[in-house]
Amino acid sequence: MNRDLIAGAVLLAIAGAYYVSIGTIADSTLSDEVGAAGLPLALAGLLALIALVMMARAVLATRAARRAGGPVAAVEDDEEGDASVPRALGLLLIGAAYVVLLPYAGYVLSVALLIAAVAFYEGAARSWVIPAAAIGGAALYWAIFVKLLGVHQPAGILVQGWLS
Amino acid sequence: MALVTTFWDIVHLLTGTPLFLVAILGLTWGILGGALPGISASITMALVLPFTYTMDPAMAIALLACVYIGAEYGGSIPAILIRTPGTNSSAATVIDGYEMNRQGRAGEALGISLMSGVIGSLFGLLMLAMLTEPLSWLALAFKPTSYFALGILGLSVIASMGGDSLLKGLAAAVIGLMIATVGTDPISGVTRFTFGVPDLLSGIEPVVVMVGLFALTELMSQSGSTSVTQLGNSIRIRLPGWEMMRTLRRSQIIGCILGLFEGLTPGGGGSVAAFMSYNEARRWSKTPEKFGKGSEEGIAAPETANNTVASTALIPLLSFGIPSSNSTAVLLGGLLMHGLLPGPRLFEQNPQVIDSLYVGSLIAIIAQIGVGVIILPACVWMVNRPRPYRSGFIFALILSGLYTLNNSTFDLGLALALGLVGYFMRLARFPVLPMILGVVLGHMVESSYRRSLVLSGGDFHIFVEDPIAVGLLGAALLFVTFSLAREYREARRTKLQEAHQ
Amino acid sequence: MRKTLTGLIAAAMTAALGTFALHAEPLAYPQKVVTLVTHSSPGGGSDVFLRELSKYLGKYIAATFVVENVQGGSGAKAVARVAAAPADGSVFYATTPTYIYTSLLSKPSATYKDLEPLVNMFADSEVIYTRADGPYKTLKDVIDKAKSERGRWGASNPASLERQAAEQLKRAAGVNAAIVTHEGGGDMMLNVLNGTLDIGIGEIQELRSQIEAGKVRLLATFNPQRIPEKPDVPTVKESGYDVSLVKFRGLAGPKGLPDDVTKVWDTAVKAVLEDPEYKKRYTEEVLVANFIPHAEYPAFITNFADTTEAFLKETGAVK
Repeated sequence: MNRDLIAGAVLLAIAGAYYVSIGTIADSTLSDEVGAAGLPLALAGLLALIALVMMARAVLATRAARRAGGPVAAVEDDEEGDASVPRALGLLLIGAAYVVLLPYAGYVLSVALLIAAVAFYEGAARSWVIPAAAIGGAALYWAIFVKLLGVHQPAGILVQGWLS
Repeated sequence: MALVTTFWDIVHLLTGTPLFLVAILGLTWGILGGALPGISASITMALVLPFTYTMDPAMAIALLACVYIGAEYGGSIPAILIRTPGTNSSAATVIDGYEMNRQGRAGEALGISLMSGVIGSLFGLLMLAMLTEPLSWLALAFKPTSYFALGILGLSVIASMGGDSLLKGLAAAVIGLMIATVGTDPISGVTRFTFGVPDLLSGIEPVVVMVGLFALTELMSQSGSTSVTQLGNSIRIRLPGWEMMRTLRRSQIIGCILGLFEGLTPGGGGSVAAFMSYNEARRWSKTPEKFGKGSEEGIAAPETANNTVASTALIPLLSFGIPSSNSTAVLLGGLLMHGLLPGPRLFEQNPQVIDSLYVGSLIAIIAQIGVGVIILPACVWMVNRPRPYRSGFIFALILSGLYTLNNSTFDLGLALALGLVGYFMRLARFPVLPMILGVVLGHMVESSYRRSLVLSGGDFHIFVEDPIAVGLLGAALLFVTFSLAREYREARRTKLQEAHQ
Repeated sequence: MRKTLTGLIAAAMTAALGTFALHAEPLAYPQKVVTLVTHSSPGGGSDVFLRELSKYLGKYIAATFVVENVQGGSGAKAVARVAAAPADGSVFYATTPTYIYTSLLSKPSATYKDLEPLVNMFADSEVIYTRADGPYKTLKDVIDKAKSERGRWGASNPASLERQAAEQLKRAAGVNAAIVTHEGGGDMMLNVLNGTLDIGIGEIQELRSQIEAGKVRLLATFNPQRIPEKPDVPTVKESGYDVSLVKFRGLAGPKGLPDDVTKVWDTAVKAVLEDPEYKKRYTEEVLVANFIPHAEYPAFITNFADTTEAFLKETGAVK
């Protein structure tokens, strides 16, 4: 039940940070009696209360389990039990790299790199398929978003500079 | 206000290639836009708006209506196949749709969503064509107090949604409500939690939260998991048979009714109706335990609801000129651009516009089955590719789509951050759904609550004076009590069983 | 409007203009393509305004006009986009009071002070309306009710010109009224029609359907003069309350616009407002032409902004 204790602490921290930020809301006479800060205050309080109850329950459960002499926390049958958290976070980092790269490298190049990087990271066999999928995918998405739908995607500062 | 003036008008409209073509093109365009995450129904419509300026007004309006129908349906495709709601209103479809997909029943799930969408659209169109006048007055019955009560009824569902821990569900809902408070305050106009970032001034888009929590979390979870499950779905699309349709009937009726109400009243634009009918379907289902584990009814209810909205949302637009959602606001723009003024006189002055709107919608709805059967196998084939490539393409699709929301990488960063939040929530066994419900409903609940109190000068009696509010709040109270009692009974039963062993 | 969409670029239909008989040669212009930026979504107020305008402008200025929707941040992003553009007459922004309010309330990095007002074209008519079958026949009835008990007034947006109008009227009449803000005129219209609100304050454009159908009654306008198309609707000032407002609609560009550009616009806008076809169109939409040339427009905007800032400071919405 240790997990719940940590979760409770994180929730309490969120409630605290949120509460502190309420101070940045301007006070306006255009507002009503509840005010712009009304609901946020209630939410911060509610979340803090939930967090405290959750932590208290986690502590009590651990104690009760200890007293009973049983294992502290029974390992539950867990679908995420074999999860590799660093691997999952790595995938997110690739996404973050895309976000940083996008304004500079432009849409087409960034998407191609993203597809290639993810495919490689997820263990695709090193072959011509990776670059082929990357180029094909970038072309496909460019055709759908930019050409067909006509929505804007960044052209890329570096690419533009190089072209002109 | 006849549906179509004469029989020959019908024949002319049906055989005259333009309308037929316009309807199918609009539908296909709508499905494409709706299926791309981040491109909502309203954006899909807005993207074709400039092309309609040069068209014949009757055709232009029919085109926009068909795009709307297609987009509301299209959102369910990625919801089922890649756990990414294509539009806000398809978020509820993710729950059981993706679950069925994981069980290798993607073809069945897609077939149910296709047919439910068709039923919802047909029902909505029927209401629009036959009952515009009486229904438009129903829209007027909703006051700020009623909206508040409606939102509370929606939130009350969390009581049964918490999964293994009610407390965790509640915490997730509160965080969702917190996300909904970001942006400009609906009553006073001051900014809240924007920290000087202009991208936050108009709030956090629900679709960013949904894509982060559903799609990115799933990608991360698959990446982190060592036991890789390869989806081996047959690409055959299985339309539900008579037997299945009978099972789904109850949930589809619920979807039709809630979709009708949601369409009439300004607000969520389909997403509230989808969530509420999902919950009602579970409440009234003969097999509620299947919900969340791949229930067919769990797809039928929200998909019927959001497709019904696509037609019934036109009722307040055509009768009052009031757009009840962003999508109908675009349609209003289309009408105004052609010098057409929605309202009672539109029916008298421009009956050909109304006729082609109805007939075009009908063609699109029927064509939806054909278009679906053609494109869906290709979609299933794509998600059957090896996981490394599938993940790469999904990731690229999500990030491309979200960028188009505001032309800003800020939304991308936000979605990634929410993906992280969702991943840790999954590890800590927090349910995601209450959080999304909080994001979707928070704005409506807060603004209508405060608006009601401004009206009454702080007197809470105003909530009791509105019969609709009393009814809805009573239902919410009953539901919460009922769910808690059931949970308590079940907890006691398990305890007793443990004691016996 | 919560949803946003940006970067939707649509070419104006200059092709269609070839069929019009030209009264005079279009004025020579240093730019081939002129981008008109709006913060409103496709189909929204400013978007419709720009698209209509761009249809007729090509007759008077020798350039292609393109409308670009830069949504998000209640106009902050659109202002930033134009402020950062070159001041050569290639990019303009469609001004409405919204950009002043956003600049003051949200304190974005680029504000109205970073733009140079070009010309004004229209004044939208702000009106007070009630449901036709309701108890109020004149503005005085509404004020009397607010005096004896408590009024329920609607304003279409939280911190906006309509809200300001409502607050000022309340003060001028010295009455007690709850001012209920909404998110858009449609929302408020339903509450006026179902009797939740005594009156609503909004733009006349959004009421056209209801006026035509005879569902709402106009009680007064906040315009300085009566609306030409509605001569029997008195102004608020005539009714005895000293409040009048101008909801302007015009164009602004980046700082430092060259003279040859501003001169062309002064002449062309004046001419386009006289264009018979365009005139017919905007009169239908109850827009009142209110031409303010480049020489006077900046002072007009500054004055408007100062008044607004004073109001917002007084209420505490801005420190």
